[in-house]
Amino acid sequence: MIYAADMGAPRRATMFSACALLLCTLYAAAAPPPTNLRGESVDLFSSNAKARVLVFVRSDCPISNRYAPELKRIYTEYQKEGVEFWLVYADKAETPATISKHLQEYDFGWPALRDPGYTLVKRSHATVTPEAAVFNASGALVYHGRIDDQYVDFGKSRLRAGKHDLESAIAATLAGKPVAEPATRAIGCYLADLE
Amino acid sequence: MKAALAGLLAGVLLNLPLSAASGAPPTFHAAIAPVIYRECSPCHHAGGSGPFPLVSYRDVKGHARQIADVVRRRYMPPWLPEHGYGDFADERRLSDAQMRLIEDWVKAGSPEGDPSAGPAPPQFSTGWELGTPDLVIRASRRYLVPSSGPDVFWNFILSPSIGHTRYVKAVEIRPGNARLVHHANLLIDRNRSARVNEKEPGAGFPGMDLSIESAVADPESHFLFWKPGSVPYEQPKGLSWRLDPGNDLVLNVHLQPSGRPEPVQPSIGLYFTDVPPDRYPILIQLEHDGALQIPAGAPDFLVGDDFTLPLDVNVLAVYPHAHYLGKLLEGYATLPGGKRKWLVRVPAWDLNWQAVYRYREPVFLPKGTVLSMRYHYDNSASNPRNPNRPPKEVHGGNQSTDEMGHLWLQVLPVGTKDQRMILEEAMFRRRLQKYPADFSAHFNLGGLLLSRKDAAAAIPYLKDAVRIEPDQPAARNTLGAALESEGEWDEAIGQFRAALRSQPRYWNARYNLANALARQGLIDEAIEEFRQVAEANPGDAAAREHFMEALRESGDAYAARGDFAKAAGRYADLAKLKPGDADLRNSLGTLYARAGDLPRAIEAFQAALAIDPSHQGARLNLKMARQMAH
Repeated sequence: MIYAADMGAPRRATMFSACALLLCTLYAAAAPPPTNLRGESVDLFSSNAKARVLVFVRSDCPISNRYAPELKRIYTEYQKEGVEFWLVYADKAETPATISKHLQEYDFGWPALRDPGYTLVKRSHATVTPEAAVFNASGALVYHGRIDDQYVDFGKSRLRAGKHDLESAIAATLAGKPVAEPATRAIGCYLADLE
Repeated sequence: MKAALAGLLAGVLLNLPLSAASGAPPTFHAAIAPVIYRECSPCHHAGGSGPFPLVSYRDVKGHARQIADVVRRRYMPPWLPEHGYGDFADERRLSDAQMRLIEDWVKAGSPEGDPSAGPAPPQFSTGWELGTPDLVIRASRRYLVPSSGPDVFWNFILSPSIGHTRYVKAVEIRPGNARLVHHANLLIDRNRSARVNEKEPGAGFPGMDLSIESAVADPESHFLFWKPGSVPYEQPKGLSWRLDPGNDLVLNVHLQPSGRPEPVQPSIGLYFTDVPPDRYPILIQLEHDGALQIPAGAPDFLVGDDFTLPLDVNVLAVYPHAHYLGKLLEGYATLPGGKRKWLVRVPAWDLNWQAVYRYREPVFLPKGTVLSMRYHYDNSASNPRNPNRPPKEVHGGNQSTDEMGHLWLQVLPVGTKDQRMILEEAMFRRRLQKYPADFSAHFNLGGLLLSRKDAAAAIPYLKDAVRIEPDQPAARNTLGAALESEGEWDEAIGQFRAALRSQPRYWNARYNLANALARQGLIDEAIEEFRQVAEANPGDAAAREHFMEALRESGDAYAARGDFAKAAGRYADLAKLKPGDADLRNSLGTLYARAGDLPRAIEAFQAALAIDPSHQGARLNLKMARQMAH
């Protein structure tokens, strides 16, 4: 309901886009919205942020945990530029208490959301953790995929990342430019199937 | 990569008719739990090394798609050797049928089924797996693993406190933080030679691989290795290893940053036996690090080594090792008839999952068998693990950005005698072929020949070793010892003196020098050397004994020449070393008396009588001395 409006309403509604809009509305109505750790639903697309970054994590995923220092670095760099950051825990087994403990232990520095209804998962096309999504000021998904290219496959990683895809996507979005590679493959732990 | 994909597709195609044929989908308890409990839960349980538990139905269901994916790619369970190229105990590998079963289960929506239809979940001990150890040694300090950055290779020096020699039948390594530790190797450091690497005692030191001094007569013989999920191994009877007071144990640990700073403080548990070893395995190393000069960009660089067995052996275990450029690692044996027997084949090397592999049954290889290693390296940009971007030329070395190619085999020579020296000699001679200008090859071979009492054969190798590294005191000392046994005393003395010039506190060399000087009749010089050795090493009984002998010999010589004052000086020194010897004090008194020093003579006779009031000689001498004094 809220999201449909945020998707950027087409000015000339063709049959096709109207249909997509309808489906989207129906879906959004069915799924529970994301909440903060106090259980309050959060509308993260209502702010006037220049860009919004979501990173999907799970507390028992060693790959997303290893990204904690890098995510904190990106946050420190771009938060002051008017970018909003959210860590998203999609597994419904992750309770607010587990999440608070995880945030503290790994010192992410980001605010966290729960998304047990997979509303944000679907909107971000996320499949694994860690996986990033960047939305521009008008709420359109402009990037989704890996944080960087350090992990190539399970058990195959570079000593250091060479391409910082998430950071490049944020920088391009802030500069009002299209993201060079809008979708990449993230390596990590699968988000569980919705039951 | 392409081959893997093709295999994957073939698997799926083959799998379709099978799963269609079997009516009801597999359930967790009946079909999946037996596989998970055996292959996954040993690491994936609360407190285990796996990042999350896989024990309950909820645990496994929550990771179901992940499990199906990683087992299909054979990323999990981690097991590097190719099936069929060596038959290993504790092989951790799913069969194709087990993989299909998991896949079918996930496709069917991961149904739980009836709990009573399957095995009970396994229980995991949180304590020592082999029961309470006889001795527990904990690293004296924690190492703080940083939150991010490349993997860390850290060495902890553990110093067991034991009053006498013990025999170790098992070691349990507890890494302290199993989720951070990828593997750990325990090395016996008999000469405490690793301590020089520490900035301060107990600090530990970095390094991916380390070399530790060991005696020719007592070479490394066991793999003491830990990897996630490994169960401590108790040596069969007769294969225990010796631990002497003063030995250090160095624990080399591979650590992976977890995203937050975490301390690691490993400990080890030792289990002793009263049964000393009566079978003597040895570690054979194939390598050719000297040939590891991998050009930048080379996608398939080959390094090999071959070694011909000088006797019949049984191979007990194998440990392949390379760094980040290693790609395909092969080890095999060519039997005297020409037939090839595989020892190990690692088709996709991954440093993170390196391990020691123990054969299910010892592999017999007859004398004349050629052991071979063929290691392939990928130093191109398409190897994601390449530490250099862009690639650059890489050489052999201990750092993680250097490369290495080692194939270690634990072999047990066939027969009842200790035949390690035969193997060692062959290994040293092979090393000499590979590295004609190598110091250690010459030094070790010379040392081995000398310990076999073949000084004449040893001398040329030791002379070469000294020529290659003139300031290396151990080579000078060993050469001196060899020259001595050939009767070349003056030359021997020269070598001992040279060893002491580069290392004045090298007590073995000083002791040898003193003996050689004494042998040459340079007794006064010998005494000064012995004095230093004995004073610095009060526990060294042999040095003390020789020192006393020299003092007595010198004292007697002075006395024979009529120089009683000097003779008395030697005996006075001797008396200090033997506080309970009445005879000695009686002799000392006699020498003082003959030198004309009656007060001291009287004192010495009185001292003799204080020790032994019934000493008739001393009583008589005391009487005479007192008369003469008046």
